[in-house]
Amino acid sequence: MQEYQLEIEEIDQKKERSLQKIFKWFLKNIKFLLIPGSRIEELSRREIEYEKNRSQRKFIRRLKSVLTISGLIIIFIIITLAVFPQWISPFSYDHITGIHPSAWGRPNAINILGRTAQGRDVFGRLVFGARTSLTIALPSIAISVMGGVVLGVLAAYYRGWLDSIIMRVSDVIFAFPGLVLALVIIKIWGARIEYILLVWGLLGIPFYARLIRGNVLQARALPYVAAAKVAGAGNWRIMFRHILPNTIQPIIISFTFDIGGVILGLAALSYLGLGDASLVEWGNDISFARGNLYTAPWASLWPGFMILVTVLGFMLVGDGLRDALDPRLKNI
Amino acid sequence: MSLIKYIFRRVLIIIPELFGALTLTFILSRLMPGNPAVALLVSRGIPKPNPNIIAQMEHELGLDLPIIIQYFRYLGELFTGQWGESVVIVRQMPVWDLILQFLPFTADLAIFSIIIASYIGIKIGVISATHRNKARDTIFRFFALVGVSVPIFFMGMLLQYLLGYVIPIFPTASYKSIEYKSPPRVTGFYMIDSLISGKLYLVADYLVHLALPIFCLAFVTLAGIVRQTRSSMLEILEQDYIRTARAKGCKEKDVIHSHALKNALIPTVTIIGLNVAGLLTGAVLTETTFGIYGLGRLLVDSINLTDYWVLNGVVFLMTLIYLCANLFTDVIYAILDPRIRY
Repeated sequence: MQEYQLEIEEIDQKKERSLQKIFKWFLKNIKFLLIPGSRIEELSRREIEYEKNRSQRKFIRRLKSVLTISGLIIIFIIITLAVFPQWISPFSYDHITGIHPSAWGRPNAINILGRTAQGRDVFGRLVFGARTSLTIALPSIAISVMGGVVLGVLAAYYRGWLDSIIMRVSDVIFAFPGLVLALVIIKIWGARIEYILLVWGLLGIPFYARLIRGNVLQARALPYVAAAKVAGAGNWRIMFRHILPNTIQPIIISFTFDIGGVILGLAALSYLGLGDASLVEWGNDISFARGNLYTAPWASLWPGFMILVTVLGFMLVGDGLRDALDPRLKNI
Repeated sequence: MSLIKYIFRRVLIIIPELFGALTLTFILSRLMPGNPAVALLVSRGIPKPNPNIIAQMEHELGLDLPIIIQYFRYLGELFTGQWGESVVIVRQMPVWDLILQFLPFTADLAIFSIIIASYIGIKIGVISATHRNKARDTIFRFFALVGVSVPIFFMGMLLQYLLGYVIPIFPTASYKSIEYKSPPRVTGFYMIDSLISGKLYLVADYLVHLALPIFCLAFVTLAGIVRQTRSSMLEILEQDYIRTARAKGCKEKDVIHSHALKNALIPTVTIIGLNVAGLLTGAVLTETTFGIYGLGRLLVDSINLTDYWVLNGVVFLMTLIYLCANLFTDVIYAILDPRIRY
């Protein structure tokens, strides 16, 4: 009986002691327990994730400057105009390409920005023109970037005669003025916008090839390339899965600037009257309405303003990206 | 390697580039529609030549020879100065004389624009970099961004409307007023000829007419220069040697101009060189907007009207100017930064 009681007392004392122990541990560590995720294993895992996201979060924070946000808003508006023109413009596509009375109408309540020579609504032509500019600029840039990146990476990785040939041919193509080539192509094959697009795409390849070649030349001397080789990676795998993602950064920045450049070039070609005159395009509008600049300035000045705003949007985003990706500012 | 060796190698590189560009031009001009022999005969006063005369003229021009021999004849003619004559633009006028008629206007536009743009652009770039993120910097950056994105014809038209029509200060087109006669031609450059002939009102008239085009060209060029100068100055102002100069007690003015700007100018010089080449090869859009007939306009017209020999001559001249401007830029780059001499 006594033994039982002793055991019960011991067990009770042990319970008390363990309860006290738990209680004391709790009090001692309460300041750590109140931090979310303070258990040791979870802490190191969260630390790793926190560090991984830190550069991304800093990038996004640096991207949030006023000018860059306004650039993104502008691009968003232009893309909306390009994708949903029939819902934004009060007049239909048939009106935009038809002939109506009241030519050179002044801006009033119905025609917000006035009418052009053929009585078409200027605002409607602005809205429908966004689609043309974007659908011509983007494939052209895509050709330049893809061709340029592939050639640049190949040239810089293999060096030797491949590098020399690609660089010399690039220099010759680079020196050729794009406008002249576009004019000659128009003369030979007619004002087909697909050919002009292709030509500008090909003319832009040397620029991107040179741009990425510098970075790849630096990257291929780094240890991770040697490590990948030792691990048995083939050449193509090293080039396009290891080196390329680390060297793509200046390409992204130049890409946004170049979209603006191609839109300007296309507008210039249409302004000279050498583009496809049946396209609904801002440059075409300016060239049609140029003669009546003083009597009906709205028909030629508003399309020009739209070109300015579109290119400005892309340039703002390009600037913002360049400042955010700048490696020297990593600690700010 | 030494500077002389670098210049020599750089000049050697020009030769294959030049030949590559000329080959491309030859291929394209041969693909253009129309028969040069027929065009030449029509311009010389035979409206409907019969096939015999056409065949004879083709034989004279060498158009029946194999294409390779035609290529070498083409190169030979270009390099020996026989550039043929214009067949559409100004009939029977030698191409070189035609180019010399219009080159001075483009040269004037280019020279004035580049000088103004470089001087103001570098100054603004330095101010923008030294007062970083303050009010001045933001305003200048915004204007530089607008200058890079504005289509130059839109800016020209806006200025024509606002400053030529709404508030009629500037004339809006051409390079001289209609009531004034051109001075007698000594050099071909309008300003120099007017100064030589002593009629200073012609000089003032010319400058007032060119004010708007030069403003447009200078604004666009200036924007690029400001952006590049600002970016390279920012990069240099973080360097240790600038901190050392300040610590040694250099005046801030000296730190910025003698130490930082000298190094920051190197990429800026590249941009200026590219812009000089671009302006000299003719700012087609500005010339079209303001009705000044220069080299760019000549090029566009020769392509549109298929003026075969004018096209060859003008493209050769433009390629030459472009390659020389690139060479000049690379040499200055090598002079300023001895590490670049590969």
